[in-house]
Amino acid sequence: MMMLVTGGAGFLGRRVVRELVREGCRVRCFLRPSTRIDDLRECVGTRDWHAVETFRGDLQDPDDCRRAVAGADIVFHVAAGLSGGAAVLFANTVMPTRQLVAACETEGVKRFVHVSSLGVYGAGSLRRHALLDESCPVDPHPHLRDPYTYSKIVQEQVCREAFERGRLPLVVIRPGVIYGPGRGLLSNRIGLTLGGTLVRFGSRRPLPYVYVDHCATAIRQAGLTPGIEGETFNVLDDHLPTAREVLAACRRAGRPVRSLWLPESAIGPLSSLYERYSRWSEGQLPAVLTRYRSDAMWKPLKFSNARARERLRWAPHLSFEETAQLSLA
Amino acid sequence: MPERSTSSEPLKVALIGCGQIADAHLQQIARIRSARVIAVCDLHADLAEQAAARFGIAARYNDPAEMLARERPDVVQIATPAHTHHAVARLCLAADCHVYVEKPFTLTAPEAESLLDLAAERGRLACVGHDQLFDPAWLEVRDRIARGELGEVRHVESTLGYPLSGQFGALVASDPRHWVRRLPGGLFHNTISHPLYRITEFLKDDRPQIDARWRTRPGFNFPTELRVDLQGASVSGTLTFATTIASQRITRIYGTTGTLECELDGQIVRRIGPAPAPGAFAKLLTPWRQRREAARTFRRQLGRFARGKIHYFAGLKSLCERFYDAIRTGAAPPIPPAEIVRVTRIMDEIFETARQRDASTNWGGAERRGSEWKAIARDSRPAAAMRESLT
Repeated sequence: MMMLVTGGAGFLGRRVVRELVREGCRVRCFLRPSTRIDDLRECVGTRDWHAVETFRGDLQDPDDCRRAVAGADIVFHVAAGLSGGAAVLFANTVMPTRQLVAACETEGVKRFVHVSSLGVYGAGSLRRHALLDESCPVDPHPHLRDPYTYSKIVQEQVCREAFERGRLPLVVIRPGVIYGPGRGLLSNRIGLTLGGTLVRFGSRRPLPYVYVDHCATAIRQAGLTPGIEGETFNVLDDHLPTAREVLAACRRAGRPVRSLWLPESAIGPLSSLYERYSRWSEGQLPAVLTRYRSDAMWKPLKFSNARARERLRWAPHLSFEETAQLSLA
Repeated sequence: MPERSTSSEPLKVALIGCGQIADAHLQQIARIRSARVIAVCDLHADLAEQAAARFGIAARYNDPAEMLARERPDVVQIATPAHTHHAVARLCLAADCHVYVEKPFTLTAPEAESLLDLAAERGRLACVGHDQLFDPAWLEVRDRIARGELGEVRHVESTLGYPLSGQFGALVASDPRHWVRRLPGGLFHNTISHPLYRITEFLKDDRPQIDARWRTRPGFNFPTELRVDLQGASVSGTLTFATTIASQRITRIYGTTGTLECELDGQIVRRIGPAPAPGAFAKLLTPWRQRREAARTFRRQLGRFARGKIHYFAGLKSLCERFYDAIRTGAAPPIPPAEIVRVTRIMDEIFETARQRDASTNWGGAERRGSEWKAIARDSRPAAAMRESLT
């Protein structure tokens, strides 16, 4: 089977490529003209490299998309912008997805696996300590979220609209925060880094983390498991660490993090205060922290990977102690 | 059909081009009481949609002509890619709108002249986004020079640090088909307006002598570094565009009796050079004078911070305000049309000179002769041109 992987040279993408190659698939990687493939080649390994082909092009170019999709049975859409303002993220995430989806509709692929984000849920509207699973609604006000999440929500909408038109056999993967070697364990789910100090909001809530290799195997399964078109899967580790555990792991690895603790109950009022100041000062400090965003990001919730475990026949194979060690090596 | 605003109502502003710089326009115009944004437009529906949603703008369009016909804005802010400015601005002027055009105003001086002629014919104003001339730090430079602090200005050094690891730079560097790479002056065409007009503010010659040279860093396949020397009758200037240094916007203005340094990112204006004291005393007096000046600047910035007055795009707001006031009152526009043409012409000559000095380059932008670029610009239509990537 021929697989097309977008973003195949990236942190997650190259591991997806490796998983597929190990399953005996041929993989075409859709890469930008300037993307280096050293890491991808190293990840896949010399022995299996013959199963990988690279396609250089621009995901915003309909012709490039059509040529890349031609002959592919399953498409894994991993590529997305990670940073920048909303316009940049829309240009790098939403607009390319439209072109790719259109090409897949035309070419008639057998499966389209879209890598979304756990952030797309309207977690702010849930009660504290409620369970966030696939039945929770997507955020109804995406433009109030941070630019990355906004772009991921609209990106998923684009895929879902094509599915509802009956022309895209879609499976959606919503991973939590993906960590692993080279990326470390810290994320803004713990708190905000200000001037080299991590300001962490509370310490005890579970962080929705997923180790990169676990995520890659789940994505592979989303492509290969029959009969799951139209389904969505939250992909998370079995044991979700707390901020306290993450910082302890960093300490044990000899990489202590300078951090300042704030009680969880302070997040909401502080966010409101900051938001009011930002408005009063007409954006002297940009409204990066708002009540709406902080509720969605830092509200203590429970998470579940039960559906992914059951339907994808997938399970994380490493413990947090092991993945933390690998990530911080 | 909606009417244009009356003199007592806020000006109706529309924005065409919802790419990276659009946020700055929308944020700053929101701070101006005499104007309100009524519509945004981008050929890419997603970009128009996200801008409208985040800034609470009711109307969004994908066709500029349709937006102009339906919304009848008083002013259109044009923030599309540089090579589309001429065609889009013509469309807006033909619809009797005033236009604020992001830098560079147009790709060539003849294009700039034709746009300004059309504006005059329709009784409309045109403004170019030379916003740093209205940044509070630059206004302080102007004020201090007007008070005679430097004597006569004789030389200006203007530096732009533009690392290609930045958001936009990385995109341009990684994509050989990016529209910036295809401009006559390539990467420089989209960026050197700012450091250049900080020189031409003082170098008033219509046709200064120009020596320009560009260079390609190892590992890149298009010119990345630019050095320009300008010589006027009484003022000279040097412009340095470097991708190898940290991001910065620094200008030094040398006068007959002193030197000022303006650092726009830190909003700092400081006097440099030795204090007027004999021998070893100058070594003590100079840092003492700089320390006092730094303390004064800190107190002033602290006051501005407390009042919520520090904004990265403060110059854009100030320029738009002045432009809108000129529209309302019939006063002279903040940047005279002749100045827009002059800066555009100097840019043309810079690129032509650098191209001639680098005639053997294989770079696509440099390979094209001026006449070819004029033909491309002439042929561009708003819709077709805007279909290019907007980032």
